[in-house]
Amino acid sequence: MNRQWKNHLDQLIFLGPACLLLAMFLLAPIVVNFLVAFTEMAQTIHFDNFPTTRQFEKLGKLDSDALFGFELRRSFFKALALSGTFVFFTLLFFNLSFALILALTTTAMPERLGSFFRAVWLLPRMSPSVVYGLLWLWVVDSSERGLFNQIWTFFGGETLNLRLDFSMAVIVVSNGLIGASLGMVIFTSAIRSIPIQLFHAARADGAGSFALIRYIILPALRWPISYITIYQALALLVSFEYIFLIMGPARQTMTMAMLSYTKTLAPQIGGGQYAYGAAIALILIVIGIIAALGMWRLTKMDRLLQRPRIEVR
Amino acid sequence: MTPDQVEENRTIKWQKAAIRSRRRRHWKLAALTIFLSVVSIPILLAYLWMITIAFTAKTGGVETATLWIAASILTPTLIIYAVIHNIEDLPNKRRWGWGLIGVGFAIGVVLLWDEFHLGNFRFMINPNLVEDIRGVATAGGQFPWVWEAFFNSLFLASVQTVIVVTVSSFAGYYLSRFAFTGRSLFLQSLLVLQAFPAITLVIPIFLIVYWVGLVNTIYAPILVITALELPFFIFIMKGFFDAVPWDIEMSAMTDGASRRQAFRMVILPQVRVGLIAVGVFAFIKGWEEYVFVTGLTTGQSYTVMSTYLYYVSEDVMGVDYGIVAAVAVLYLLPALLLYLACQKYLTQMTLGGVKG
Amino acid sequence: MAKVELRNVTKAWDKATAVKDMSLVIEDGEFVSLLGPSGCGKSTTLLMLAGIYLPTKGDILFDGAIINEVEARERNVSIVFQSYALYPNMTALQNIMFPLRFQPNSRGEELAREMADLVQVGELLERKPSELSGGQQQRVALARALVKSPNLLLLDEPLSNLDASLRLTMRAEIKRITRKFNLTTVLVTHDQLEATTMSDRVIVMNEGQIQQIGTPESLYAQPNTLFVGSFIGSPPLNLIKGTVQNGRLNKDNLFLQIHDADGEITLGIRPENLVVAETGIPGEVSHVEPMGREVLTTVHTAFGELWFLEAGVQPRWEMGNQIKLNCQPENTLVFDRTGIRIQGAIAKFDT
Repeated sequence: MNRQWKNHLDQLIFLGPACLLLAMFLLAPIVVNFLVAFTEMAQTIHFDNFPTTRQFEKLGKLDSDALFGFELRRSFFKALALSGTFVFFTLLFFNLSFALILALTTTAMPERLGSFFRAVWLLPRMSPSVVYGLLWLWVVDSSERGLFNQIWTFFGGETLNLRLDFSMAVIVVSNGLIGASLGMVIFTSAIRSIPIQLFHAARADGAGSFALIRYIILPALRWPISYITIYQALALLVSFEYIFLIMGPARQTMTMAMLSYTKTLAPQIGGGQYAYGAAIALILIVIGIIAALGMWRLTKMDRLLQRPRIEVR
Repeated sequence: MTPDQVEENRTIKWQKAAIRSRRRRHWKLAALTIFLSVVSIPILLAYLWMITIAFTAKTGGVETATLWIAASILTPTLIIYAVIHNIEDLPNKRRWGWGLIGVGFAIGVVLLWDEFHLGNFRFMINPNLVEDIRGVATAGGQFPWVWEAFFNSLFLASVQTVIVVTVSSFAGYYLSRFAFTGRSLFLQSLLVLQAFPAITLVIPIFLIVYWVGLVNTIYAPILVITALELPFFIFIMKGFFDAVPWDIEMSAMTDGASRRQAFRMVILPQVRVGLIAVGVFAFIKGWEEYVFVTGLTTGQSYTVMSTYLYYVSEDVMGVDYGIVAAVAVLYLLPALLLYLACQKYLTQMTLGGVKG
Repeated sequence: MAKVELRNVTKAWDKATAVKDMSLVIEDGEFVSLLGPSGCGKSTTLLMLAGIYLPTKGDILFDGAIINEVEARERNVSIVFQSYALYPNMTALQNIMFPLRFQPNSRGEELAREMADLVQVGELLERKPSELSGGQQQRVALARALVKSPNLLLLDEPLSNLDASLRLTMRAEIKRITRKFNLTTVLVTHDQLEATTMSDRVIVMNEGQIQQIGTPESLYAQPNTLFVGSFIGSPPLNLIKGTVQNGRLNKDNLFLQIHDADGEITLGIRPENLVVAETGIPGEVSHVEPMGREVLTTVHTAFGELWFLEAGVQPRWEMGNQIKLNCQPENTLVFDRTGIRIQGAIAKFDT
């Protein structure tokens, strides 16, 4: 009897706090979001009119004639398209390709030099988001003082308003620089974990740099690449922090995540339309859960479930 | 062919091969360095701008000449530094390197001395900064003082770090050492939670915080950020605990210590590295947080560095870039220093790693 | 096929020097071993021969031409590693054919299969390395090394990961193949048995420097330094340390006559040269070890623990026996204070 109580006490002490925090701020919100999305909650935070699909009707309507059986409203369709474009291009060009290029190039050079460049590329990620956003605002400033315009006019161009005319490019590049650094770190450590003798043997066999990449490095990166693809696609889909800091509530960059954020909690702009925001968030949450389960499937589970050492209490 | 000719042919063949190899080596390094330099220049330039402006700009203008001067000194210095370190037979590389840095620094001082001033950092001493510049108080009442924001950030980051390190260590230890029904389920759920993008839950988290009555307090982001980081950090700590050999614990217990005493006296020192890594990461995250600080408040109740910088830039930008840059430098510095100081530990983390 | 020479080769990393001023000539078709403890620089030397590392000082020559800067792929050398270094995502056949990708060779697959049959892995060609045993991987690695008819074959502790019986087989295999193709071969190992059984000459290294070069027999019988004497031969050399005064090494009323040496010396005697006799160093048997073919007996004497080998299955002595040990003077080795052999010096056991 005593032992049982002691076990439960141990569980309470060791796991209790974690469970409480996780339940309150990770699990409960999922449920709450689900419920709120079916209300008309707005500024007054009451569960008005539960349950209703009013919010979802703002997004689209059921139409048996339309493709898939429903038709999206223009504003939401636009948000969806923007999300898709944003995620696709950032992921492809920066999070994956550029990260790979950075990893390959910095490992092919003397260690000190490689670390230097990797450190530079980690700067954006290491800086607080507000600082990074600020730097971008300076760079894309539409007057001649903006860093980009200074260089552009030096080479004979006219001052450009990047935020207005190239808004998608701006958010792709700004998020991309951050995303590239994570891939770079993961790919670099994957490359480093390839036994060096494999490289020695290949070199002696006659392989040049490109052959090394093709036959030795890329096969070893197959798993990290798939992992990064899914993980970063998901992260990009739901991100809004940098977009908000640089572009504000601009219409040209109103992705789904931005839409949800600006309608609710954005500082000084948020309109408190909690139910609407929750409805959009619900879509993202569902996608998030599916992706998380997918990645859970992919990861090697047995390592983590190593049997615990002490059976005796 | 005579034997001599055969031999000569062979020697020539080898010499050609040597030349080919040398050329290949040099071209490869040159190409890589040039490519990386070109793509890295925008990033470096932007940060260089921030530093230069913080120390040289004056109210009402943004002189960019200083930036370009600084850049034109820095670039050749770095290039020559890199070249020095890559010439194979040069003796005393270190001394050449430091000498070069000294020369570059001296040139910089000579050229830019007039411009250099700490005036932009007056926000650290002058609480009525905005009024001084604009002549009017900012809308919404008295502008907060930077030190208030600074200490709020410090408070948020520190408390959050302590909580995260404690909770994740406890949980990590228990998961590593104890068998209990539902352990496997627990671990798998943690794995799923870790992969799940928690930022999507901003809205319901706000609502929950509101209902619990913590909205507009600094404790809300502390708890929320802690919770969202927990799955990741629990796994990290569990990994470190798994790596501690069982024998140490066993001998402590046979020596008479209770399980909890064994944990405190024997195990904790072993996972020091993990604790430091988790602590640093958590602190930086708390220091940088913007979304959950602004999102969990209705109106302006307390300021942290991130919101302070945001408001300064809104009110003062366009008039005085210098001050904004100076604030940014103050904000950036602690995080950067912390990262540099703990580099080794961080590389260990990303190996398992998902975030980082 | 190539004659390889190292001239005053030094390899230094930032603070440490791995190889110091090494000079060596390897004749065309010769099989040599670099033998030494771990960290002595032997693998570094191998990789410099391969073209993976660049010598800090000195020259490496193939057939009389300096090739320091020629990179690995232009040298036509092959390496077999301790870990086999097979490409994990390719089948055995693809592994063996890999070097041929970089050469204009129309007979590619045919040649690869020939090599595979030569090392007897012909049946396993469709398997991936993870589906092969250690010995099989080793053979595939060997086939891959041979397929391009290299100038030089480099082996970096290739047998260390194999179990004893496999090691025996592979030793013979490698010897057979290198002789068949008259390959110049350099073997790196810390196992003195491997070195002495396979090589034409052995180069003993320690701390980046060559201790001695010679045939296995000459190294065994005539070691130049204490290091070489102790490293080669198992069970190892018996060592007696002491100071020679007036031609004698004294210990507790016993003495050994030392001729042509003075001062601090170390006396070395091979276990099989120490015999039980009527006169000699007295001692008490402390340990008896039957080793199958022979028996190793350890005796506690005033000069320290000495051990000797006797052929035969049954031990002749028991713990506690009092016996006397003697040795032919010409079988004794005398080393000076710094470990260098004093040529011509001998010891006589007259008590």
